[in-house]
Amino acid sequence: MADGAPALTDDALRAEVRAWLAEHWKGLPQPRPGPGGAGWTTTPEHRAWLAKVVESGWAAPRWPTEWYGRGLADHQARIIEREFAAVGAPGSGQDRTNLWANTALAYASPTFKPKIVPQLLKQEVGMCLLYSEPGAGSDLAGIRTRADRNGDHFVVNGQKVWTSGAATADYGMLIARTDWDVPKHKGISFFFLPMKQEGVEVRPLHQITGESHFNEVFFTDAICPAENLLGAPGAGWGVLQTALAYERSVMGEGARGPRSGVAESNGEEPLIALAREAGVLGDPLIRQEIAKVIGYRRLNAMNTARAKSDLAQGTSSSIMSLGKLAMSRILHEEARVRTLILGAGSLLEGPDHPRAEDANFLTLNAYFTSIGGGTDQIQRNIIGERVLGLPKEPEVDRDVPFRQVRGNA
Amino acid sequence: MVTQGEDSRLPVITAEDRTALTDSLRRLLADRCTEADVRRTMETQSGYDPGLWRELAEMGVVGLVIEEEYGGVGAGPVELERVTEETGSALLCGPLISSGVLAAELLRALGDADAKSRLLPGVADGARLATAALTGRAGGWTPETIEVDAKPGAGGGWSLSGVASYVTHGQIADVLLVAAKTPDGIAVFEVEPSRTAIKALPAFDHTLRLAEIVFDATPARRLAGSKPAWDAVEQALDLARVALAGEQAGAGKRTLEFTVDYAKTRAQFGRLIGSFQAIKHMAANLVLESESAISAARHAAQALADGSPQAAAAISLASFACADAFNQIAADAIQMHGGIAFTWAHPAHLYLRRARADAQLFGASAFHRERFLQRLGA
Repeated sequence: MADGAPALTDDALRAEVRAWLAEHWKGLPQPRPGPGGAGWTTTPEHRAWLAKVVESGWAAPRWPTEWYGRGLADHQARIIEREFAAVGAPGSGQDRTNLWANTALAYASPTFKPKIVPQLLKQEVGMCLLYSEPGAGSDLAGIRTRADRNGDHFVVNGQKVWTSGAATADYGMLIARTDWDVPKHKGISFFFLPMKQEGVEVRPLHQITGESHFNEVFFTDAICPAENLLGAPGAGWGVLQTALAYERSVMGEGARGPRSGVAESNGEEPLIALAREAGVLGDPLIRQEIAKVIGYRRLNAMNTARAKSDLAQGTSSSIMSLGKLAMSRILHEEARVRTLILGAGSLLEGPDHPRAEDANFLTLNAYFTSIGGGTDQIQRNIIGERVLGLPKEPEVDRDVPFRQVRGNA
Repeated sequence: MVTQGEDSRLPVITAEDRTALTDSLRRLLADRCTEADVRRTMETQSGYDPGLWRELAEMGVVGLVIEEEYGGVGAGPVELERVTEETGSALLCGPLISSGVLAAELLRALGDADAKSRLLPGVADGARLATAALTGRAGGWTPETIEVDAKPGAGGGWSLSGVASYVTHGQIADVLLVAAKTPDGIAVFEVEPSRTAIKALPAFDHTLRLAEIVFDATPARRLAGSKPAWDAVEQALDLARVALAGEQAGAGKRTLEFTVDYAKTRAQFGRLIGSFQAIKHMAANLVLESESAISAARHAAQALADGSPQAAAAISLASFACADAFNQIAADAIQMHGGIAFTWAHPAHLYLRRARADAQLFGASAFHRERFLQRLGA
């Protein structure tokens, strides 16, 4: 047992969590979506609860005791998570799901870590991601935002894009180039950049769905204390991989459904209910399409279940990496079949036409999954190379100093 | 139709037993069912290798789902599906699904005690080949497609007239189970093959045997049943569909494997072709198809074994998902190989032929998609 603590049986642990929850958990008001639907606006009650969970060691039980944890093995930590889930209490399992806190715990400097880690676990600070740039999407290592060392701080200049929650964030996890004379992956550093300062300007992006969940962020001589550097200078690409892994593990969970909010089924498959309502459930062509698409979603659920059971049996599973690609096909195809079902009805939009609104929104929003977080094309490269072991495409810029790569002069 | 809670097979098979069985089967097939063996066997008249068949029977594969009291292993759909993943992967030629699954399960589902004790032991030990004639020249494996009429004769016997087609391994069967229309609905009859006119059909999949059987006042024994005969047929068909889904999933996986291997060794323009995204992305799409097929086939088998109320829908889903996946994999495999796979000597077309056959047997994808929706209540 880690930290020399006496081993605790599963039953004793379960009883302890249960007793603690019975004493402390009194429920919370529902967290409300933040401005533009992004992030959450936590209430004071919510934050007070999280603080209690953190101080009691339930937030990150896999972590060592000196970092709010209990040094527990995964299966015992899951017991705690299940007990929290059973009563609907938030805050547990952050050692698995809180990408900010996990990244900080792994890489933050000795002076910054004690300040930031508890704030992240208690959600006292808002966070955003500062990765993609207009010129660096799929080729993320091609970023050109620069961070130049100046005494005890770095000076940041450049532009980021696709940042959600930027307007309210206290920190952004930033990748910026600190060395232009080494190949692209080697000159990147990773920072917790303070967002509330003059040199940081946030402008909302207007999406194809009409919504604004993302921002562009411009840096003009923004200041980042040197202690906010995570990992060594130039080692930011490695830090980023850790952060991305945590992000993907929470991202695969689910995508958004219809947004009209007008109920369309009571337990029935949504496409069947929609076709029934539209009076076309008897159309054999539409029936074929509906069956195909419901099949896609069920197959994906079966794949996920099989991957989890493979993992539980200790064999690694390559199926996990298929989930995102599968989901993007599901979302595009479901939207296509919704449109097929509605026919000319899909010409319309607005609150008086909720079915059309849903079909059109889902058609456009499907790209959130097929482009965001790595395009389908990048995903196919990953499956081809990491799952099947196919050789990589030759990379002309891999071993060239970044300054000399075409387009970066 | 999937019946619930009627499975008299006992869960005597542990996960270790299952792995041991599939491991030894895989070794046997690697030794005795190589591509050369398949090519040799598919050109024989009988279309199967009697020596290998005996070994499969001794291993328990032929009588896998037959109850122990009749000399079978008493295993269920889950073991069956794992086994057909292996036999599909090796492109095994022979009446495993026709005799050991479709006919055997039909006998079990009907529950005619006399027929079971007379026929099943021979089917289980591989000495007797049985098959079921369930559809007419329209194919489709539905009651409406039956073209055989049964008339009661003297002394309790019956006589059959009409045509049954696409009878898998009909030309090598020792026992025919025939679905025919009677004045009081569909019934299943046992028929001596020698009393019928059997015409071997030229199958596009050379590893398969298909026959058309003409009945002309052919004497037949009506099998007793504890349920409507077509329900028993559906039960047998559903188990055969699970077996077929496993076969397609296993064969698709193998096809993808040798295609990816080729992409790692074939060079053009000074690069391995697998480094081109044009090839890599096709391969990645096929991984999704292949893994989904395996998940669907295993899920359907498990649902059937559990007697789950969702088993029927799961089998329909597996039927079209596995058929479509195997067809896409086998078709793309040829394209990804290029010219080499356009040759007879290359194995890719053998898999495409099997994929095209499996996609029609016991109902095509469009039929299964429609059935899937119906089974979801739509």
